[in-house]
Amino acid sequence: MRFAGRLTLVAASFLFAAPQARAETVKIGAAFSLTGNAAAYGAQQKAGVLLAAEEVNKSGMLPGITLEVVVEDDGTNPQQGIAVFDRFINRDKVSAIIGPTLSTLAEAADPRAQEQKTPVVAVSNTKPNAITTIGDYIWRVSLTEAQVIPSATRAARAKLGFKTAGLLYGNDDAFTKAGFDVMKSALEKEGVQILGIQTFATKDRDFNAQLTALKGLKPDVLFVSALVEQAGSIAVQARQLGYTGPMLGGNGFNSTKFIQLAGPAAEGVLVGTAWNRASQDPLNQKFIAAMKARGTDPDQFAAQAYTGVLVVAEAVKQAGMKGGRDDVKAGLAKVKDLPTPLGAFSFLPNRDGDHAAAVQVVKGGKFEILQ
Amino acid sequence: MGQQIVNGLFLGSIYALFALGYTLVFGVLDILNLAHQAVFMLCAYVALLLVGSLHLHMFAAFPLAVLAGGLLGIVVDRVAFKPLRGRSDSNISGLISSIALATILEAVGLQLFGPDVERFPLGTVPDRGIQIGGAVVSEIQVVIIAIALLVMGALTFLLQRTRLGRRIRAVAESPLAARILGVNVDRIIAAAFFLSSALGAAAGVLFGLAFNNVAPDMGRAVELKGLAVIILGGMGSMPGAAVAGFALGLLEVFTVAKLGSSYRDAIAFGVLFLVLVVRPHGLFGKAALREA
Amino acid sequence: MNSEALRDLWLTYQSTVAFIGLNGLLALSVYTTLACGQLSLGQAGFMALGAYTSTILTLHAHLPFPVVLAAGTLAPALLAVPLALPVLRLKGVFLAIATIGFGEVVRIFFVNLDYTNGALGLVAIPQRTRLWTIYAALAGALFVLWRIRGSRTGYALEAIREDEPAARTMGIHADAYKLAMMVLGAAFAGLAGALDAHFNFIVVPSSYSFARVVEMLVFAVVGGTAVFYGPVVGAAFLTLLPEVLREVGSRVGMQPGPLRLFVNGLVLLLVILFLPDGLASLPRRIRRRLEARRAAAHAP
Repeated sequence: MRFAGRLTLVAASFLFAAPQARAETVKIGAAFSLTGNAAAYGAQQKAGVLLAAEEVNKSGMLPGITLEVVVEDDGTNPQQGIAVFDRFINRDKVSAIIGPTLSTLAEAADPRAQEQKTPVVAVSNTKPNAITTIGDYIWRVSLTEAQVIPSATRAARAKLGFKTAGLLYGNDDAFTKAGFDVMKSALEKEGVQILGIQTFATKDRDFNAQLTALKGLKPDVLFVSALVEQAGSIAVQARQLGYTGPMLGGNGFNSTKFIQLAGPAAEGVLVGTAWNRASQDPLNQKFIAAMKARGTDPDQFAAQAYTGVLVVAEAVKQAGMKGGRDDVKAGLAKVKDLPTPLGAFSFLPNRDGDHAAAVQVVKGGKFEILQ
Repeated sequence: MGQQIVNGLFLGSIYALFALGYTLVFGVLDILNLAHQAVFMLCAYVALLLVGSLHLHMFAAFPLAVLAGGLLGIVVDRVAFKPLRGRSDSNISGLISSIALATILEAVGLQLFGPDVERFPLGTVPDRGIQIGGAVVSEIQVVIIAIALLVMGALTFLLQRTRLGRRIRAVAESPLAARILGVNVDRIIAAAFFLSSALGAAAGVLFGLAFNNVAPDMGRAVELKGLAVIILGGMGSMPGAAVAGFALGLLEVFTVAKLGSSYRDAIAFGVLFLVLVVRPHGLFGKAALREA
Repeated sequence: MNSEALRDLWLTYQSTVAFIGLNGLLALSVYTTLACGQLSLGQAGFMALGAYTSTILTLHAHLPFPVVLAAGTLAPALLAVPLALPVLRLKGVFLAIATIGFGEVVRIFFVNLDYTNGALGLVAIPQRTRLWTIYAALAGALFVLWRIRGSRTGYALEAIREDEPAARTMGIHADAYKLAMMVLGAAFAGLAGALDAHFNFIVVPSSYSFARVVEMLVFAVVGGTAVFYGPVVGAAFLTLLPEVLREVGSRVGMQPGPLRLFVNGLVLLLVILFLPDGLASLPRRIRRRLEARRAAAHAP
């Protein structure tokens, strides 16, 4: 009995091994912040890319090619990020790099990839007028703050009708600073009067002074551009200090970790998002279900990372099932209306991403699309 | 305005507690213990573990964490300072040795707890606001200021009114004279480290509670501010550390409100530099600071 | 191993080799002041000044590399003079604190300087530094220190380090020497900063923190400050060790970050307690131990 079982196993392995005997491996290097200030996003991104690679390989979309994703930690540290890129490019010989998590690191590490002619697909860098400007090997899936915040501001104003605002932002991170710039211009365009602007540093824990100063000016709404750790603290401290008005956050707030950190203080906070999780699109629903089955309640970062792998796979397909670096680069230019959890995805002529955005509000401890 | 003052006193009370620990050891040993910030950090984690995993109430966790800090302080003394006691360059080598120990402890913290920020479970920290006149202060701010003042009061009592306190002050004055008078200098130094690190631990737990933010790098943030405080207050002077702590807290808060957060740290170091150049012994200090 | 594999190995690890050189130079910058008994912990500030000065000249004035390197070396050296003068007479730990303060003030200055993008720093700096540039600079620094060592200046420095009041009584202008060494240390740090900026593509204020200068100090002390090449030994050892241990660490389950810190701290502690003259003194010690044993063996 046991011998027959073993024989069956051996036979089965031959059956399944045969088509793979000729498989070419296309390596993708994923540089994410698994530790450090952006770790909350990195964890989601890692789950996203691994799921995507698995599904692409299973789907047979790329016959004869196996996608292999190598994930490494950039530590939310530019030096470390550069080292990871070096290893991907020279040691692992990847065909493309996905990441890094933060725009600050991207500005440091992407030039290396550009110099070495390795395509980079940014899946969470949202600094506008940057990143893709580094060179023609740098592509972007994530919508920039300039693509998300103005519509979020408009929708929020339509719903809440605020006339004055206070602004708080982190001035030592490329993304939060860029987010602030966009917020300021969006508010000005909407005719909202900005009563006060305060700053903080990413390492700060104490926002009482800034929040007290802003609260004293009695704004109708508070706009905050921060990364998730600080976002959580800011929301909590603002409520503790007695600020009862509405808050609108930038992309940094777009993480379930924010709700976790802020607890009840997160209720009612508005956030523009690149991922409409309520979309009934079957691809989107399947993505959410698959992520949940793996123990992760996905957020925008997971969706974007997942899409990043889909886009690279599509690029390989468009290049004629070829996985070299220049093949991928050529293929990326041909990606058009690709079905993804983010919606139908295309690249703009400047290699930035293009798809529809949405606005969320935190209700009952969860992100909901603002109706 | 009133609210900002509370913000400043609140921040300042933590600085004061931390600096008191620094200055206590400096007063007794003439050495700067740069492992102080590591104890600060680790004991915040101890409190976090006690509350988070063992579900103790803060009232129990706080003294336990402080006790742990004191014990850790004795370890710091035994490992980093005692072996160097006889050496001629013990000031500098002690400093370096404490840096080494701080690095090790930080690594331990990083390995055990990971680099990410940890929070106390929701509900540990009171998050209500209290109306006082026109200002709204958060309950946690009031609680922390009160605890800090209580601790400082207890410390003063201990140093001024108890035999242990008298012995510590004797050793601080002159270890040789104290030894001649029959004081067990080694044990007193250990006691001083116990107290100093207990203060650091208290500051750490309160800091963690205050901002609901415990991370392995939290010591770094306060370490350098602590230096500015003891310089301003005068190295070796306890009242100096307390007063300077509150002063720096207020100064920082008003700087942030008026000039922006980036200048928050600049204020501390500007003050430090100014004091060292103009009046090196600080507000209350009397240590000899210059070469012959 | 064929040449292709060697080349790949080289490309991957050239960063490490470069860092050894840079760290060596930085360690020497801390050493220069230790050599006359001063613990100056503001080198991160000088490094930042060198990095920013040279980078601004490259990006905005498009000056040739040797010129920006020279500027990056001179700027901090000149700035060291007004810094050093008021703090020269401060005793040990107070000097240390004052210089820590200076380093932090420089960092905060750059965090707030909009011209250099504040906290975000300068990016996309062309990579002009080559390995040979770094090692040439290091060799130059070592040469300078070597010449000082055996000369009258060297003896004066030692005297000041051993017993400053006595040295003054003997007519040595301690202040002038201390100032000179601080300026030299600033020059080394500035040069290292300029080289580093043109190697790593970016310059951010957060690289020049107190933690950075502590690292430099660790290199210097671990290597040994009794001989002028000691700090370089320490830098090489401590830069290589985490790379070597990366494999071991993952097997033991320790993350690379904490492992590097732990190793740094442990090595420093062991050195300061048991081998105060640093690793560079090991060969001498071992030789002496062997000689003593040989002498004892031959004793009647």
